[in-house]
Amino acid sequence: MTQFKRRDILKGMGGLAGLSLMGAGPLRTALAQGMASDEAWKQASGTTIQFISENTPPTTAIAANLASFQELTGITVNITEMQLGALVQKVALDFGAGRSAFDVIYADPYQVLAPYHRGLVDLNTFINDDQQPVVPKGIEDFIPTQLAAAGRFKDRESLYTLPYDCPTMIWIYRRDLFEKYHDQMQQDLGFDPTPSDSTTWEQYYQIAEWFSNGNASEVQYGTGHQAQQYDSLMCDFSNVLFAYGGDYFANGQQVGLLGTDSPGACQLTSEPAMEAARFYQKLLKVAHPGSTSWDWTGVANAFQNGEFAMMPEWHEFAGSLESSQLQGKIGYAPLPKGPARSANLWGGTGIGINANASAEKQKAAWLFLVWATSPQTQLMGLKSEVGGGTPTRQSVYAMPEVKAASTPPTDMPNMLTADTMLTAWQDEHIGLRPKIAQWNEVDTVIFTELSKMLAGQMSPEETMQSAKQRIDRIVGA
Amino acid sequence: MMSPALFLLALITLVPFFSIIWMSFNDVSLMGGLAFEFSGLDNWQRVFTDPDIRSSWLISLVYFLATVGLEMVIGTVMALLVYSLTRGSNIIISLLLIPMFIAPVIVGLLGRFMLDPSHGLYAWLLNETGLFDGNILGSVGSAMVAVILMDVWEWTPLVALIVLAGLASVPEDTLEAAEMDGAKYGQKLLYIILPSISNILLVALLIRAMDAIRFFAIIFITTNGGPADSTKIIPIRLYDIAFRFFDLGYAAAVGITMLVFSIMVATAFTKLLKRQETSS
Repeated sequence: MTQFKRRDILKGMGGLAGLSLMGAGPLRTALAQGMASDEAWKQASGTTIQFISENTPPTTAIAANLASFQELTGITVNITEMQLGALVQKVALDFGAGRSAFDVIYADPYQVLAPYHRGLVDLNTFINDDQQPVVPKGIEDFIPTQLAAAGRFKDRESLYTLPYDCPTMIWIYRRDLFEKYHDQMQQDLGFDPTPSDSTTWEQYYQIAEWFSNGNASEVQYGTGHQAQQYDSLMCDFSNVLFAYGGDYFANGQQVGLLGTDSPGACQLTSEPAMEAARFYQKLLKVAHPGSTSWDWTGVANAFQNGEFAMMPEWHEFAGSLESSQLQGKIGYAPLPKGPARSANLWGGTGIGINANASAEKQKAAWLFLVWATSPQTQLMGLKSEVGGGTPTRQSVYAMPEVKAASTPPTDMPNMLTADTMLTAWQDEHIGLRPKIAQWNEVDTVIFTELSKMLAGQMSPEETMQSAKQRIDRIVGA
Repeated sequence: MMSPALFLLALITLVPFFSIIWMSFNDVSLMGGLAFEFSGLDNWQRVFTDPDIRSSWLISLVYFLATVGLEMVIGTVMALLVYSLTRGSNIIISLLLIPMFIAPVIVGLLGRFMLDPSHGLYAWLLNETGLFDGNILGSVGSAMVAVILMDVWEWTPLVALIVLAGLASVPEDTLEAAEMDGAKYGQKLLYIILPSISNILLVALLIRAMDAIRFFAIIFITTNGGPADSTKIIPIRLYDIAFRFFDLGYAAAVGITMLVFSIMVATAFTKLLKRQETSS
């Protein structure tokens, strides 16, 4: 069996000209330049691996460009895309059966990584293996909060996934309306309504109310929300909760970043959490009434239809909104701040390797992971005509063509949010939900109790009290 | 000659059945391969003390009575109307049957689309006519009515079809004799037609009742059990426990209670059917 030494890899890194002559194309050349020798990439040639992923834009782009990976490695990748809920079921049952029907797993940090991290390979095994291609620019190139939140569990030693996508909730608004009515709003409200670092949730509420009072003919309501009794409601509320200084568990940012097996007692009855619930209830009363039946897609569609002027929404919707009739009329900003901070819920995911897979397939899977999360592939995703997510690597944002794409007109619409995102991902602005094994059950309690509050069945205080009791029972506190 | 087939059938039916019973007395873990840890009656105790399960059973009961009741009444009326047609009944039947050929998931998606407060046709119509100006799928009460009506829309034609088949067996000579005696339509319906099709009505009721107990797709697509758990019928709750929380031992216990309820309903209807046959 061919042995690859560090020297081979260094040789490979210097072998740009040779690889170019081999006719593998610019992508292959760029990858090989930054990673390893051609032999290292061919070590699992002929292997077929299965990749299970949520049906997200990055995977759509990867699927459209798989030929370049196959050409580079000789590995065939079959991609199965589905909704996250179905994916979690399949992965859990795969682990339960002790099989590896899927070799590469889109491992949601909360629904897959936290409960099933023991079923994933510690990627340090490959990172420290001289025979494997190096991760281009090292794992340090990944945005640090995302590397920890998507890839680690409990400690900073093991690494289970490489950050793959990074949807994050931001403030998306009708810039055209904010500009048109700027002076009138400023006069009526007594503050500059333009979304900025200093805008508060209370001001967001006042702006929403101003639009809902019929001051702008273009929209009926000021704000729309993803407040269906579903995961989306927890996401929407969490932005406010964190901004007000509340959290689900003590030491919340740490529980969100690295995760834990024992989060302790739920903190939803703290005064900041109560205040957040009271505000959220007040905000939803002036929101578009459809909010309680919309998830993230529903609220984005309604925004696109011109139903309201602004919304907290996942930034990756920028791509579809910028290709609608609202093109050029939309603005992006970090979410408003509360008494504590501006918090932008992060919903990213990494990709990892099934520990039940054979050694050969694990090698092939590692090559795929390195390729799929490389700067070149992420750039390719940004340019892809079929979509593509937002890079998880810092170096991609530093590329001149990506920087240039952050202002309109652009052929990378997701990059219009780049400045906002780089702010939102800072430690003090990112919002991280608890990374615990029981998250699905806790999540269900949160959105169910909130739904009862929005339906008027419970007061904010009763809601938080009831949620705490149930969550404490689930986590055994 | 049939024993290999019977054996196979028993194998694929009984093995999962007994596995689920065993599962309900265990805590089941998926990590590192399927593992059972005996927990005695813990899961069963939870089934009978969990307020969420109790609430879901109550919602299921309301849903069950409303859907099956409406489908039986409307389906029977539809069948009688079609039966009374002298021309064009084949075309009418074909048109009436269309909803039941649509997959429930598609019905759910259609419902969600038509009732969306920003662009839904039905939402707009209700709003314009002043009948309802709220968020249909996002409000407690209206969401339940909406999912009941979606189910009724889809499955009433099945009841109509079954009843229509039964109407063919109503004795023509008895009807003619009644007419000659001056009986009105209501009298004929009450004393001749309905007694003649009572068995077939019970069969329709049994089929729809069995379906209604395990109803899932439309609610899953439209409301996911919300708002405020107002449409969280027991199959949706079971789905959460089994495939979102992966609490498979508890899910097995909940699933078995559903099975027992189904058997009880089926037994009741079968006994009623037998009593009808004996009396006639």
